[in-house]
Amino acid sequence: MIILQAEKLTHKFPDGTVAIKDIDLAISEGEFIVIAGSNGSGKTVFARHLNGLLKPTSGKILFFGEALAKNIINARKQIGLIFQNSDSQIVGQTVAEDVAFGPENLKTSASQVAKIVAEALEAVDLSQYAKQNPQLLSGGQKRKLAVAGVLAMKPKVIVFDEPFTGLDYPGVRQVLKQLVELHKSGHTIVLITHELEKTLAHADRLVVMDKGRIVLDGLPEEQIYKVAQYGIRLPEIGERGVGAMTWLS
Amino acid sequence: MAQLIAFNYFYRDSVIHSLDVRIKFVTMILFSAAIGRITSPNQFIGVSLILLAAMVLSRLPFAELFRQMRYFGLLILGIIVIHSFSVSGTKIAPIPGLTVEGFVLGLFFSWRLFLVIIICVIFTGTTALKQLRKGIEWFLHPIPFLPASRIATMINLVFVLIPMLFDQASEILDAQKARCIEVNRNPIRRIKYLTVPLLLQTFKRADELIMAMESRCYTEERTRPVFNIKMKDWIFLSLSVSIMAVVFF
Repeated sequence: MIILQAEKLTHKFPDGTVAIKDIDLAISEGEFIVIAGSNGSGKTVFARHLNGLLKPTSGKILFFGEALAKNIINARKQIGLIFQNSDSQIVGQTVAEDVAFGPENLKTSASQVAKIVAEALEAVDLSQYAKQNPQLLSGGQKRKLAVAGVLAMKPKVIVFDEPFTGLDYPGVRQVLKQLVELHKSGHTIVLITHELEKTLAHADRLVVMDKGRIVLDGLPEEQIYKVAQYGIRLPEIGERGVGAMTWLS
Repeated sequence: MAQLIAFNYFYRDSVIHSLDVRIKFVTMILFSAAIGRITSPNQFIGVSLILLAAMVLSRLPFAELFRQMRYFGLLILGIIVIHSFSVSGTKIAPIPGLTVEGFVLGLFFSWRLFLVIIICVIFTGTTALKQLRKGIEWFLHPIPFLPASRIATMINLVFVLIPMLFDQASEILDAQKARCIEVNRNPIRRIKYLTVPLLLQTFKRADELIMAMESRCYTEERTRPVFNIKMKDWIFLSLSVSIMAVVFF
Protein backbone atom coordinates (compact mmCIF):
# COMPACT_ATOMS: atom_id res chain seq x y z
CA MET A 1 0.00 0.00 0.00
CA ILE A 2 1.32 3.45 -0.91
CA ILE A 3 1.74 5.52 2.24
CA LEU A 4 3.48 8.61 0.88
CA GLN A 5 3.55 9.90 -2.64
CA ALA A 6 5.05 12.91 -4.38
CA GLU A 7 3.29 14.01 -7.57
CA LYS A 8 5.11 16.38 -9.91
CA LEU A 9 6.59 18.08 -6.87
CA THR A 10 8.49 21.28 -7.68
CA HIS A 11 10.01 23.81 -5.30
CA LYS A 12 11.43 27.13 -6.41
CA PHE A 13 13.13 29.54 -4.01
CA PRO A 14 12.19 33.23 -4.16
CA ASP A 15 15.48 34.00 -5.99
CA GLY A 16 14.39 31.67 -8.79
CA THR A 17 16.62 28.72 -7.88
CA VAL A 18 14.86 25.45 -8.60
CA ALA A 19 15.54 23.15 -5.65
CA ILE A 20 13.48 20.19 -6.85
CA LYS A 21 11.63 19.70 -10.12
CA ASP A 22 8.83 17.32 -11.12
CA ILE A 23 9.55 14.73 -8.45
CA ASP A 24 7.35 11.65 -8.76
CA LEU A 25 7.92 9.12 -6.04
CA ALA A 26 5.67 6.59 -4.31
CA ILE A 27 6.75 5.08 -0.99
CA SER A 28 5.09 1.88 0.20
CA GLU A 29 4.13 1.17 3.80
CA GLY A 30 6.96 -0.54 5.69
CA GLU A 31 9.55 0.26 3.02
CA PHE A 32 13.14 1.23 3.84
CA ILE A 33 14.18 3.69 1.17
CA VAL A 34 17.54 5.40 0.82
CA ILE A 35 17.58 8.73 -1.01
CA ALA A 36 21.10 9.65 -2.04
CA GLY A 37 22.55 12.58 -3.89
CA SER A 38 25.47 14.97 -3.87
CA ASN A 39 25.33 18.30 -2.00
CA GLY A 40 22.74 20.64 -3.47
CA SER A 41 20.83 17.85 -5.21
CA GLY A 42 17.60 18.81 -3.39
CA LYS A 43 17.44 15.97 -0.83
CA THR A 44 16.83 18.16 2.22
CA VAL A 45 14.23 20.31 0.46
CA PHE A 46 12.42 17.13 -0.55
CA ALA A 47 12.59 15.80 3.04
CA ARG A 48 11.02 19.00 4.34
CA HIS A 49 8.18 18.65 1.86
CA LEU A 50 7.48 15.14 3.16
CA ASN A 51 6.72 16.63 6.60
CA GLY A 52 4.77 19.58 5.22
CA LEU A 53 7.36 22.14 6.37
CA LEU A 54 7.66 23.63 2.90
CA LYS A 55 4.87 24.44 0.51
CA PRO A 56 5.43 23.19 -3.04
CA THR A 57 5.58 25.69 -5.87
CA SER A 58 3.63 23.12 -7.87
CA GLY A 59 2.65 19.49 -7.44
CA LYS A 60 1.69 17.84 -4.18
CA ILE A 61 2.43 15.28 -1.53
CA LEU A 62 -0.18 12.64 -0.78
CA PHE A 63 -0.38 10.77 2.51
CA PHE A 64 -2.51 7.62 2.21
CA GLY A 65 -3.91 9.13 -0.99
CA GLU A 66 -5.03 12.40 0.66
CA ALA A 67 -3.30 15.72 0.03
CA LEU A 68 -0.89 16.24 2.93
CA ALA A 69 -1.69 19.96 3.06
CA LYS A 70 -5.34 19.20 3.96
CA ASN A 71 -4.48 18.05 7.47
CA ILE A 72 -1.01 19.29 8.17
CA ILE A 73 -1.05 18.56 11.92
CA ASN A 74 -1.97 14.92 11.30
CA ALA A 75 0.73 14.70 8.63
CA ARG A 76 3.38 16.07 10.98
CA LYS A 77 2.26 13.65 13.66
CA GLN A 78 2.39 10.65 11.31
CA ILE A 79 5.53 11.62 9.40
CA GLY A 80 8.39 12.31 11.76
CA LEU A 81 11.42 14.24 10.54
CA ILE A 82 14.88 13.95 12.09
CA PHE A 83 16.93 16.98 11.10
CA GLN A 84 20.53 16.94 10.03
CA ASN A 85 21.60 19.15 12.94
CA SER A 86 20.17 17.60 16.08
CA ASP A 87 21.41 20.52 18.22
CA SER A 88 18.98 22.92 16.64
CA GLN A 89 16.17 20.39 17.05
CA ILE A 90 16.43 20.44 20.84
CA VAL A 91 13.79 22.64 22.48
CA GLY A 92 13.84 21.30 26.02
CA GLN A 93 16.29 21.81 28.84
CA THR A 94 16.03 18.22 29.97
CA VAL A 95 15.93 15.11 27.84
CA ALA A 96 12.42 14.19 29.06
CA GLU A 97 11.17 17.74 28.52
CA ASP A 98 12.38 17.70 24.95
CA VAL A 99 10.65 14.41 24.19
CA ALA A 100 7.43 15.74 25.77
CA PHE A 101 7.35 18.74 23.41
CA GLY A 102 5.47 16.92 20.61
CA PRO A 103 2.80 15.16 22.72
CA GLU A 104 2.16 18.39 24.64
CA ASN A 105 1.54 20.20 21.37
CA LEU A 106 -1.07 17.55 20.64
CA LYS A 107 -2.70 18.40 24.00
CA THR A 108 -2.18 14.91 25.36
CA SER A 109 -3.01 14.70 29.09
CA ALA A 110 -0.09 15.23 31.48
CA SER A 111 -0.20 11.66 32.82
CA GLN A 112 -0.29 10.25 29.28
CA VAL A 113 2.63 12.51 28.27
CA ALA A 114 4.73 11.10 31.12
CA LYS A 115 3.94 7.56 29.95
CA ILE A 116 4.72 8.31 26.29
CA VAL A 117 8.01 10.02 27.22
CA ALA A 118 9.09 7.05 29.33
CA GLU A 119 8.27 4.65 26.46
CA ALA A 120 10.07 6.75 23.84
CA LEU A 121 13.19 7.09 25.99
CA GLU A 122 13.12 3.38 26.72
CA ALA A 123 12.89 2.64 22.98
CA VAL A 124 16.09 4.57 22.27
CA ASP A 125 17.82 3.48 25.47
CA LEU A 126 18.07 6.98 26.97
CA SER A 127 15.91 6.47 30.09
CA GLN A 128 18.86 7.03 32.44
CA TYR A 129 19.40 10.51 30.97
CA ALA A 130 15.78 11.68 31.36
CA LYS A 131 16.63 14.54 33.74
CA GLN A 132 19.90 15.56 32.10
CA ASN A 133 20.58 18.62 30.01
CA PRO A 134 20.39 17.38 26.39
CA GLN A 135 23.30 19.61 25.38
CA LEU A 136 25.54 17.41 27.52
CA LEU A 137 24.74 14.27 25.51
CA SER A 138 27.14 12.88 22.91
CA GLY A 139 26.46 13.35 19.19
CA GLY A 140 25.00 9.85 18.83
CA GLN A 141 22.83 10.29 21.92
CA LYS A 142 21.52 13.62 20.61
CA ARG A 143 20.38 11.90 17.40
CA LYS A 144 18.72 9.22 19.53
CA LEU A 145 17.00 11.98 21.49
CA ALA A 146 15.72 13.44 18.23
CA VAL A 147 14.40 9.96 17.35
CA ALA A 148 12.70 9.72 20.77
CA GLY A 149 11.10 13.13 20.21
CA VAL A 150 9.65 11.88 16.94
CA LEU A 151 8.66 8.45 18.34
CA ALA A 152 6.64 10.20 21.04
CA MET A 153 4.32 11.39 18.28
CA LYS A 154 3.68 7.75 17.25
CA PRO A 155 4.57 8.25 13.57
CA LYS A 156 4.14 5.74 10.76
CA VAL A 157 6.92 7.20 8.62
CA ILE A 158 10.28 8.51 9.86
CA VAL A 159 12.43 10.64 7.58
CA PHE A 160 16.11 10.85 8.56
CA ASP A 161 17.96 13.74 6.95
CA GLU A 162 21.71 12.94 6.90
CA PRO A 163 21.65 11.33 10.35
CA PHE A 164 25.33 10.36 10.34
CA THR A 165 26.80 13.84 9.79
CA GLY A 166 29.48 14.61 12.38
CA LEU A 167 29.21 11.27 14.18
CA ASP A 168 32.10 9.01 15.09
CA TYR A 169 32.08 5.27 14.42
CA PRO A 170 30.21 4.27 17.63
CA GLY A 171 27.77 7.14 17.05
CA VAL A 172 27.03 5.98 13.49
CA ARG A 173 26.51 2.42 14.72
CA GLN A 174 24.15 3.62 17.50
CA VAL A 175 22.00 5.56 15.07
CA LEU A 176 22.09 2.88 12.38
CA LYS A 177 21.06 0.19 14.87
CA GLN A 178 18.18 2.41 15.96
CA LEU A 179 17.15 2.94 12.38
CA VAL A 180 17.13 -0.78 11.59
CA GLU A 181 15.15 -1.53 14.77
CA LEU A 182 12.56 1.10 13.86
CA HIS A 183 12.16 -0.50 10.46
CA LYS A 184 11.78 -3.95 12.03
CA SER A 185 9.09 -2.58 14.35
CA GLY A 186 7.01 -1.63 11.30
CA HIS A 187 7.96 1.98 10.59
CA THR A 188 8.44 3.18 7.05
CA ILE A 189 11.95 4.61 6.84
CA VAL A 190 13.14 7.30 4.45
CA LEU A 191 16.87 7.75 4.88
CA ILE A 192 18.58 10.67 3.20
CA THR A 193 22.30 10.11 2.94
CA HIS A 194 25.18 9.87 0.51
CA GLU A 195 27.11 7.43 2.70
CA LEU A 196 25.84 4.28 1.03
CA GLU A 197 28.52 1.97 2.39
CA LYS A 198 27.09 2.44 5.90
CA THR A 199 23.46 1.66 5.20
CA LEU A 200 22.57 0.22 1.83
CA ALA A 201 22.48 -3.40 3.05
CA HIS A 202 19.31 -2.56 5.00
CA ALA A 203 17.50 -0.72 2.22
CA ASP A 204 14.73 -2.10 0.03
CA ARG A 205 15.17 0.63 -2.54
CA LEU A 206 17.70 3.22 -3.66
CA VAL A 207 16.68 6.57 -5.09
CA VAL A 208 19.30 8.99 -6.40
CA MET A 209 18.67 12.71 -6.86
CA ASP A 210 20.69 15.04 -9.01
CA LYS A 211 20.06 18.73 -9.72
CA GLY A 212 16.62 18.52 -8.11
CA ARG A 213 15.40 15.51 -10.07
CA ILE A 214 15.17 11.79 -9.47
CA VAL A 215 17.67 10.15 -11.78
CA LEU A 216 17.79 6.60 -10.41
CA ASP A 217 15.13 4.56 -8.64
CA GLY A 218 15.14 0.82 -8.05
CA LEU A 219 16.66 -2.09 -6.18
CA PRO A 220 19.96 -1.18 -4.49
CA GLU A 221 21.86 -4.05 -6.15
CA GLU A 222 20.74 -2.84 -9.58
CA GLN A 223 21.28 0.89 -9.08
CA ILE A 224 24.49 0.93 -7.07
CA TYR A 225 26.84 0.67 -10.09
CA LYS A 226 25.38 3.83 -11.62
CA VAL A 227 25.73 6.19 -8.63
CA ALA A 228 29.26 7.46 -9.32
CA GLN A 229 28.14 9.52 -12.32
CA TYR A 230 25.94 11.57 -9.97
CA GLY A 231 28.69 12.58 -7.56
CA ILE A 232 28.20 9.77 -5.04
CA ARG A 233 31.15 7.62 -4.06
CA LEU A 234 30.74 4.07 -5.32
CA PRO A 235 31.52 1.88 -2.30
CA GLU A 236 33.78 -1.12 -2.71
CA ILE A 237 31.58 -4.01 -3.69
CA GLY A 238 32.99 -7.32 -2.54
CA GLU A 239 31.72 -10.85 -3.01
CA ARG A 240 28.76 -10.19 -0.73
CA GLY A 241 27.67 -7.26 -2.88
CA VAL A 242 25.24 -4.72 -1.44
CA GLY A 243 24.61 -7.04 1.53
CA ALA A 244 28.03 -6.07 2.91
CA MET A 245 27.25 -2.35 2.89
CA THR A 246 26.55 -1.79 6.54
CA TRP A 247 28.49 -0.66 9.56
CA LEU A 248 26.56 -3.04 11.77
CA SER A 249 28.31 -6.22 10.70
CA MET B 1 29.30 22.50 22.32
CA ALA B 2 27.84 20.62 25.24
CA GLN B 3 29.55 22.53 28.02
CA LEU B 4 28.00 23.70 31.22
CA ILE B 5 26.89 27.28 30.79
CA ALA B 6 25.91 29.87 33.39
CA PHE B 7 22.21 30.74 33.42
CA ASN B 8 21.45 27.29 32.03
CA TYR B 9 19.61 24.46 33.76
CA PHE B 10 21.88 21.92 35.39
CA TYR B 11 20.33 18.80 36.82
CA ARG B 12 21.19 17.85 40.40
CA ASP B 13 19.22 15.87 42.96
CA SER B 14 18.76 18.81 45.37
CA VAL B 15 16.05 20.38 47.52
CA ILE B 16 16.11 23.61 45.49
CA HIS B 17 15.71 21.69 42.23
CA SER B 18 12.66 19.86 43.54
CA LEU B 19 10.80 22.98 44.78
CA ASP B 20 7.58 24.10 43.09
CA VAL B 21 8.44 26.63 40.39
CA ARG B 22 5.83 29.12 41.65
CA ILE B 23 7.44 29.14 45.10
CA LYS B 24 10.84 29.68 43.47
CA PHE B 25 9.43 32.57 41.44
CA VAL B 26 7.92 34.29 44.47
CA THR B 27 11.08 33.74 46.52
CA MET B 28 13.24 35.13 43.72
CA ILE B 29 11.11 38.27 43.51
CA LEU B 30 11.08 38.68 47.32
CA PHE B 31 14.84 38.30 47.56
CA SER B 32 15.49 40.65 44.65
CA ALA B 33 13.22 43.28 46.23
CA ALA B 34 14.95 42.84 49.59
CA ILE B 35 18.37 43.25 47.97
CA GLY B 36 17.16 46.54 46.54
CA ARG B 37 16.25 47.78 50.02
CA ILE B 38 19.12 46.64 52.22
CA THR B 39 21.62 49.33 53.18
CA SER B 40 23.68 48.29 56.21
CA PRO B 41 26.71 45.96 56.01
CA ASN B 42 25.01 43.58 58.47
CA GLN B 43 22.02 43.22 56.18
CA PHE B 44 24.32 42.61 53.21
CA ILE B 45 26.18 39.93 55.15
CA GLY B 46 22.90 38.35 56.30
CA VAL B 47 21.40 38.10 52.79
CA SER B 48 24.76 36.91 51.40
CA LEU B 49 24.87 34.10 53.98
CA ILE B 50 21.32 33.04 53.08
CA LEU B 51 22.24 32.95 49.41
CA LEU B 52 25.41 31.04 50.23
CA ALA B 53 23.23 28.45 51.98
CA ALA B 54 20.97 28.31 48.91
CA MET B 55 24.05 27.82 46.71
CA VAL B 56 25.21 24.91 48.83
CA LEU B 57 21.71 23.39 48.93
CA SER B 58 21.35 23.70 45.13
CA ARG B 59 24.51 21.58 44.62
CA LEU B 60 25.31 23.54 41.45
CA PRO B 61 28.99 23.49 40.36
CA PHE B 62 29.67 27.07 41.43
CA ALA B 63 33.43 26.94 40.94
CA GLU B 64 32.89 26.29 37.23
CA LEU B 65 30.00 28.76 37.03
CA PHE B 66 32.10 31.54 38.60
CA ARG B 67 34.93 30.74 36.20
CA GLN B 68 32.55 31.19 33.28
CA MET B 69 31.15 34.41 34.71
CA ARG B 70 34.54 35.94 35.44
CA TYR B 71 33.92 38.75 32.94
CA PHE B 72 31.20 40.07 35.25
CA GLY B 73 34.14 40.91 37.53
CA LEU B 74 35.18 43.59 35.02
CA LEU B 75 31.70 45.09 35.12
CA ILE B 76 31.72 45.10 38.91
CA LEU B 77 35.19 46.68 38.98
CA GLY B 78 34.01 49.30 36.48
CA ILE B 79 31.02 50.18 38.69
CA ILE B 80 33.26 50.61 41.76
CA VAL B 81 35.71 52.79 39.85
CA ILE B 82 33.00 55.01 38.33
CA HIS B 83 31.27 55.50 41.70
CA SER B 84 34.59 56.14 43.46
CA PHE B 85 35.39 59.03 41.16
CA SER B 86 31.96 60.46 40.49
CA VAL B 87 30.53 60.81 44.01
CA SER B 88 31.70 63.79 46.06
CA GLY B 89 32.84 63.34 49.66
CA THR B 90 35.96 62.77 51.76
CA LYS B 91 38.97 62.67 49.47
CA ILE B 92 41.46 59.79 49.61
CA ALA B 93 44.87 61.47 49.62
CA PRO B 94 47.18 60.45 46.74
CA ILE B 95 44.58 59.85 43.99
CA PRO B 96 42.75 63.00 42.84
CA GLY B 97 38.95 62.66 42.63
CA LEU B 98 38.73 59.40 44.60
CA THR B 99 36.32 59.61 47.58
CA VAL B 100 35.54 57.29 50.50
CA GLU B 101 31.76 57.75 50.07
CA GLY B 102 32.01 56.97 46.34
CA PHE B 103 34.06 53.86 46.96
CA VAL B 104 31.62 52.58 49.63
CA LEU B 105 28.60 53.35 47.42
CA GLY B 106 30.22 51.56 44.48
CA LEU B 107 31.08 48.61 46.66
CA PHE B 108 27.51 48.22 47.93
CA PHE B 109 26.05 48.72 44.45
CA SER B 110 28.34 46.01 43.06
CA TRP B 111 27.55 43.71 45.97
CA ARG B 112 23.85 44.17 45.20
CA LEU B 113 24.41 43.37 41.54
CA PHE B 114 26.46 40.32 42.44
CA LEU B 115 23.70 39.03 44.76
CA VAL B 116 21.05 39.50 42.05
CA ILE B 117 23.27 37.59 39.59
CA ILE B 118 23.62 34.76 42.13
CA ILE B 119 19.83 34.62 42.54
CA CYS B 120 19.45 34.37 38.75
CA VAL B 121 22.11 31.65 38.52
CA ILE B 122 20.43 29.61 41.26
CA PHE B 123 16.99 30.10 39.73
CA THR B 124 17.97 29.25 36.17
CA GLY B 125 20.35 26.48 37.23
CA THR B 126 17.72 24.69 39.29
CA THR B 127 14.61 25.31 37.18
CA ALA B 128 14.07 23.31 34.02
CA LEU B 129 12.61 25.20 31.13
CA LYS B 130 9.39 23.25 31.24
CA GLN B 131 8.90 24.20 34.89
CA LEU B 132 9.70 27.82 34.11
CA ARG B 133 7.18 27.83 31.30
CA LYS B 134 4.57 26.24 33.55
CA GLY B 135 5.17 28.88 36.21
CA ILE B 136 4.98 31.81 33.80
CA GLU B 137 1.79 30.45 32.30
CA TRP B 138 0.26 29.97 35.74
CA PHE B 139 1.04 33.53 36.82
CA LEU B 140 -0.10 35.14 33.55
CA HIS B 141 -3.18 33.04 32.88
CA PRO B 142 -5.60 34.99 35.12
CA ILE B 143 -4.71 38.29 33.40
CA PRO B 144 -7.32 38.94 30.67
CA PHE B 145 -6.28 39.64 27.06
CA LEU B 146 -2.73 38.50 27.76
CA PRO B 147 -1.46 35.62 25.56
CA ALA B 148 0.05 33.72 28.51
CA SER B 149 1.06 30.69 26.44
CA ARG B 150 2.78 32.81 23.77
CA ILE B 151 4.68 34.86 26.35
CA ALA B 152 5.74 31.68 28.15
CA THR B 153 6.97 30.18 24.86
CA MET B 154 8.92 33.35 24.01
CA ILE B 155 10.65 33.36 27.40
CA ASN B 156 11.23 29.63 27.00
CA LEU B 157 12.94 30.19 23.65
CA VAL B 158 15.07 33.02 25.01
CA PHE B 159 16.43 30.59 27.58
CA VAL B 160 17.07 28.00 24.84
CA LEU B 161 18.82 30.51 22.59
CA ILE B 162 21.01 32.26 25.20
CA PRO B 163 23.22 29.20 25.86
CA MET B 164 23.33 28.61 22.10
CA LEU B 165 24.58 32.18 21.63
CA PHE B 166 27.28 31.77 24.28
CA ASP B 167 28.30 28.47 22.73
CA GLN B 168 28.40 29.93 19.26
CA ALA B 169 30.37 33.00 20.37
CA SER B 170 32.88 30.80 22.16
CA GLU B 171 33.34 28.63 19.05
CA ILE B 172 33.79 31.67 16.79
CA LEU B 173 36.31 33.22 19.21
CA ASP B 174 38.29 29.99 19.40
CA ALA B 175 38.32 29.68 15.60
CA GLN B 176 39.57 33.26 15.33
CA LYS B 177 42.21 32.73 18.02
CA ALA B 178 43.43 29.75 16.00
CA ARG B 179 44.02 32.26 13.19
CA CYS B 180 45.88 34.74 15.44
CA ILE B 181 43.11 37.30 16.00
CA GLU B 182 45.05 38.47 19.09
CA VAL B 183 47.58 40.14 16.77
CA ASN B 184 44.82 42.49 15.64
CA ARG B 185 44.64 45.17 18.37
CA ASN B 186 41.77 47.14 16.86
CA PRO B 187 38.78 46.41 19.17
CA ILE B 188 36.22 47.61 16.60
CA ARG B 189 37.50 45.21 13.96
CA ARG B 190 37.55 42.41 16.51
CA ILE B 191 33.95 43.13 17.52
CA LYS B 192 32.99 43.17 13.85
CA TYR B 193 34.68 39.82 13.26
CA LEU B 194 32.73 38.36 16.18
CA THR B 195 29.30 39.91 15.75
CA VAL B 196 28.76 39.43 12.01
CA PRO B 197 29.25 35.63 11.96
CA LEU B 198 27.53 35.35 15.33
CA LEU B 199 24.41 37.12 14.08
CA LEU B 200 24.34 35.14 10.84
CA GLN B 201 24.67 31.83 12.65
CA THR B 202 22.13 32.84 15.29
CA PHE B 203 19.52 33.66 12.66
CA LYS B 204 20.27 30.37 10.90
CA ARG B 205 19.90 28.39 14.11
CA ALA B 206 16.76 30.25 15.10
CA ASP B 207 15.33 29.39 11.70
CA GLU B 208 16.23 25.72 12.16
CA LEU B 209 14.69 25.75 15.64
CA ILE B 210 11.43 27.13 14.25
CA MET B 211 11.43 24.41 11.56
CA ALA B 212 12.03 21.73 14.21
CA MET B 213 9.20 23.10 16.37
CA GLU B 214 6.85 23.25 13.38
CA SER B 215 7.69 19.67 12.42
CA ARG B 216 6.60 18.60 15.91
CA CYS B 217 3.21 20.31 15.59
CA TYR B 218 3.95 23.41 17.69
CA THR B 219 0.82 25.19 18.86
CA GLU B 220 -0.04 27.64 21.65
CA GLU B 221 -2.83 25.39 22.89
CA ARG B 222 -0.73 22.79 24.65
CA THR B 223 -1.14 20.38 27.54
CA ARG B 224 -2.10 22.42 30.63
CA PRO B 225 0.48 22.48 33.43
CA VAL B 226 -0.12 20.30 36.47
CA PHE B 227 1.39 21.28 39.85
CA ASN B 228 2.03 19.19 42.91
CA ILE B 229 2.84 21.48 45.82
CA LYS B 230 4.35 19.75 48.86
CA MET B 231 4.99 20.58 52.51
CA LYS B 232 8.64 21.46 51.83
CA ASP B 233 7.45 24.13 49.35
CA TRP B 234 5.31 25.78 52.03
CA ILE B 235 8.18 25.59 54.54
CA PHE B 236 10.54 27.20 52.01
CA LEU B 237 8.03 29.96 51.24
CA SER B 238 7.37 30.64 54.95
CA LEU B 239 11.10 30.90 55.60
CA SER B 240 11.61 33.28 52.69
CA VAL B 241 8.68 35.50 53.72
CA SER B 242 9.93 35.59 57.34
CA ILE B 243 13.44 36.60 56.24
CA MET B 244 12.06 39.30 53.99
CA ALA B 245 9.81 40.59 56.78
CA VAL B 246 12.90 41.06 58.93
CA VAL B 247 14.64 42.98 56.14
CA PHE B 248 11.64 45.19 55.34
CA PHE B 249 10.40 45.96 58.82
